[in-house]
Amino acid sequence: MRFLPHTDADRSAMLQTIGVKSAAELFADIPAQLHIKEGSLNLATALHEAGIVRKFTAAADANRHAGNTRCFLGGGTYHHFVPAVVDYVISRGEFLTAYTPYQPEISQGTLQTLFEFQTMVARLLNMDVANASMYDAATAVAEAALMARRITRRHRTVVATSVNPRYRAVTRNYLSWLDGEEIEVPCTGFATDLEALIAAIDDNTASVIVQYPDFYGSVYDLAPLREACDRHGALMVVSFGDVSAFGLIEAPGSFGADIVCGSGQALGIPMGFGGPHIGLFACRQKHVRQMPGRVCGMTEDADGRRGFVLTLSTREQHIRREKATSNICSNQGLMCTANATYMTLLGDAGLATVAQRSAAALAQLVAGLPAHVTAAGGARYNETVLSFESNAVRDRFLKLAEERAIFAGIPLEKIDPDASNEHLLVATTEMIEATDIADYLTALEASK
Amino acid sequence: MNDTRYSGVAGLMHEEPLLFERAHKAATSISLPGVEGDTPAALAGFARKQAAGIPGLSEPEAVRHFVRLSQWNHGIETGFYPLGSCTMKYNPRVHENLVRLPGLAHLHPDQPEATAQGALALLFELQEWLGEIAGLPHVTLQPAAGAHGELTGIMMIRAYHEARGDTKRRIVLVPDSAHGTNPASAALAGLATVEIKSGADGRIDLDELKAHLSDEVAAVMLTNPNTAGAFESEIVEICRLVHEAGGLVYGDGANLNALVGVARPGDMGIDCLHINVHKTFSTPHGGGGPGAGPVAVNEALAPFLPMPRIEKSGDHYHIVHEAANSIGPVFGSVGQVGVLLRAAAYIAAFGREHLHKIATDAVLNANYVLARLKDAYHVPFPGLCKHECLLTDEIQNHHGIKTLDIAKRLIDLGFHPMTVYFPLIVHGAMLIEPTETESKATLDHFCDAMLEIARDCEAGNVEALHEAPLMPVRRRLDETQAARKPVLVWQD
Repeated sequence: MRFLPHTDADRSAMLQTIGVKSAAELFADIPAQLHIKEGSLNLATALHEAGIVRKFTAAADANRHAGNTRCFLGGGTYHHFVPAVVDYVISRGEFLTAYTPYQPEISQGTLQTLFEFQTMVARLLNMDVANASMYDAATAVAEAALMARRITRRHRTVVATSVNPRYRAVTRNYLSWLDGEEIEVPCTGFATDLEALIAAIDDNTASVIVQYPDFYGSVYDLAPLREACDRHGALMVVSFGDVSAFGLIEAPGSFGADIVCGSGQALGIPMGFGGPHIGLFACRQKHVRQMPGRVCGMTEDADGRRGFVLTLSTREQHIRREKATSNICSNQGLMCTANATYMTLLGDAGLATVAQRSAAALAQLVAGLPAHVTAAGGARYNETVLSFESNAVRDRFLKLAEERAIFAGIPLEKIDPDASNEHLLVATTEMIEATDIADYLTALEASK
Repeated sequence: MNDTRYSGVAGLMHEEPLLFERAHKAATSISLPGVEGDTPAALAGFARKQAAGIPGLSEPEAVRHFVRLSQWNHGIETGFYPLGSCTMKYNPRVHENLVRLPGLAHLHPDQPEATAQGALALLFELQEWLGEIAGLPHVTLQPAAGAHGELTGIMMIRAYHEARGDTKRRIVLVPDSAHGTNPASAALAGLATVEIKSGADGRIDLDELKAHLSDEVAAVMLTNPNTAGAFESEIVEICRLVHEAGGLVYGDGANLNALVGVARPGDMGIDCLHINVHKTFSTPHGGGGPGAGPVAVNEALAPFLPMPRIEKSGDHYHIVHEAANSIGPVFGSVGQVGVLLRAAAYIAAFGREHLHKIATDAVLNANYVLARLKDAYHVPFPGLCKHECLLTDEIQNHHGIKTLDIAKRLIDLGFHPMTVYFPLIVHGAMLIEPTETESKATLDHFCDAMLEIARDCEAGNVEALHEAPLMPVRRRLDETQAARKPVLVWQD
């Protein structure tokens, strides 16, 4: 077994040192009836390395993917370009195989990277501080709802239905075990209905949760929401699906958001069939002690040199136990390194280019739509909803597109159980070229 | 300080400034694909007014920056990592290649099911394997980490009681040796935690347990082997008592490495178990994550599993999103797929013939370390251990040396410290978990270092212990200052 270094002679010598005759004696404290017969588990037989490679390669080859199709899928996961350097950095054993940096003297690499990550995330979102990650966007939104309850000591959460239905479902689940209520405010025209949302805020409201750009790609002015939150003392929570937007459009923090959270997958992490991605989480400095998750801070060592440590740990489960701000322990550490490397390579200018091209691709697609398909209007970043005259036409198009190696969009009802079945959620990134748009439009034309 | 007997020597190490201390460049170093075109007019009114202030380094500078930072880290590839209850084992390199196969890395979670059958087949098989290994056949892959699995499990247990109309069960009993995540997870699920005191041997005290069982207890959360490295030999009776009182038993699978392929939590009477695949099944810790915490349950809890789940009908795999009694989703997708696939590859390498060798060598290694150190360090709970052994600093305290000093001295000698000050049931805990992937030579080297530290204490030769660590790029860091005035982002 190639991962086990001992020879039989090693094992014998070690058993002798321990003072037992056999390895079985080491398990004598487990009652006999609990021992399972060696080799009796219903698992596959062992594979050598070449066999594992063959098995996984065969499985991978059976899939279509964004590398051999044109991917217009979004809904919280996006096919952006990932520079090779990102993958190289996170493949380095010192980052990949390190534990949580509880011993800071020998973890300064991870810690300084986290500090840089936190700084860049806070800057991109225009917020005061960011933590060292949550599992994903959905759990980050749920944790934001909980954090707002702690800060305001109120138990009513208002959520716009233009927030990704999966974020809403996880948030609803987390809140359902606690006292209080969760109100979902419907939207119209595949955009956020700010008026209805504002009307739903009252003096018992802990937080209002929106998505910006929203689940349907709509971009809108958050200023009225800030005013309404101020009137009622509620916190404004802004989530997002594709963080690349903030290379182009105003960041949520510029509208005075109290908590900003969402997915950092767009920043150098492949789609990976749903994970591992990363949840970004930022807030105002004054609320930092109610923030969930790990956070890295700057300090000095015994010789007065700058260094970094995990800090504010009195919020966390290993110190505070049942009174912790969250139960989170393992987070998405390595994905922070991926995000930090990606942002470093792109800089402001690169991030702006990615966002600009992602948006331009959608605009070109929408401009070329044939008459039998309509796109949800208004300001959209890189995602919108296409509506067909019937489910039959839409599905005919999906089939045609798939034959032409195009993942043309996500049937809306697949993510949003409340949606009818003639819509398609369509997203673009800088990975979409002009020819891909042309092929898409040709397929649409043919589906009429 | 040039002690060549141990590997903790300083090499050519570079100071490396923060990104933000370098010149800010307007240009990007990356040539990007995409369509050339104007920004849509409708977005003009929302244009970002001020750039974020992300530095942007050239590719060679960026590589050197992060490579230098990486060299300030210790990793399992660098050296021994005897962290108790963390199971830092070798992470097979081939796994990194597998998850980067384009047909796995570039799948969108919502692409048509028919186009992702290969990935779904691997994940479904992993679900089956984990159920078999746990002795609890129904598995969700959704939870993103161990603590997330705990929360998921406790939610299911609460849903189970409530579905039976048994609504007053709002208490979770947790031994005082438990991981901090246990009470925190119970609280998130809206349940109150009551701590039960461990017995004199560090194990669950049956009388203490009985005294706390009632019709208000939803569950007992326990870790087996416990965090002192001891198997709860009365586990069958413990589960029987809890069940008799109407409660369920939640198993924290953090220590599954001691049992994998040897005994199954489900056979012991445990109803629900999370599995830290980043521990037992060797997925890299990544400096804190990502992990994954699949949860395996028995028939009684199966209806409450979170959605979506992967199911098989005929030759076709489906992602099923709805089920009548499901607690709902706990994560935005089917799970941390890349992490889960690495775990599947680890299990595949051992297979049914060899899987138990993970546990037998892990337990052998822990007992070997214990045997070599038990005379020099205080052993609070004597006897054989499972996959980790617990020592304390009681003997060294007489010389003014505490666990923290020993831990920091180990760094200078070339080792990552063990887990310190946990579990909380003993004073000055040092919890050592060597795992199955360490050689006898490495263990001997580590034990030699520990024995030398003990001898230095005896001899009053303690200056190096107080000063340690001297070798790494930084010495002891001021954590009090960091917490009092938190500086969490760089200000230009």
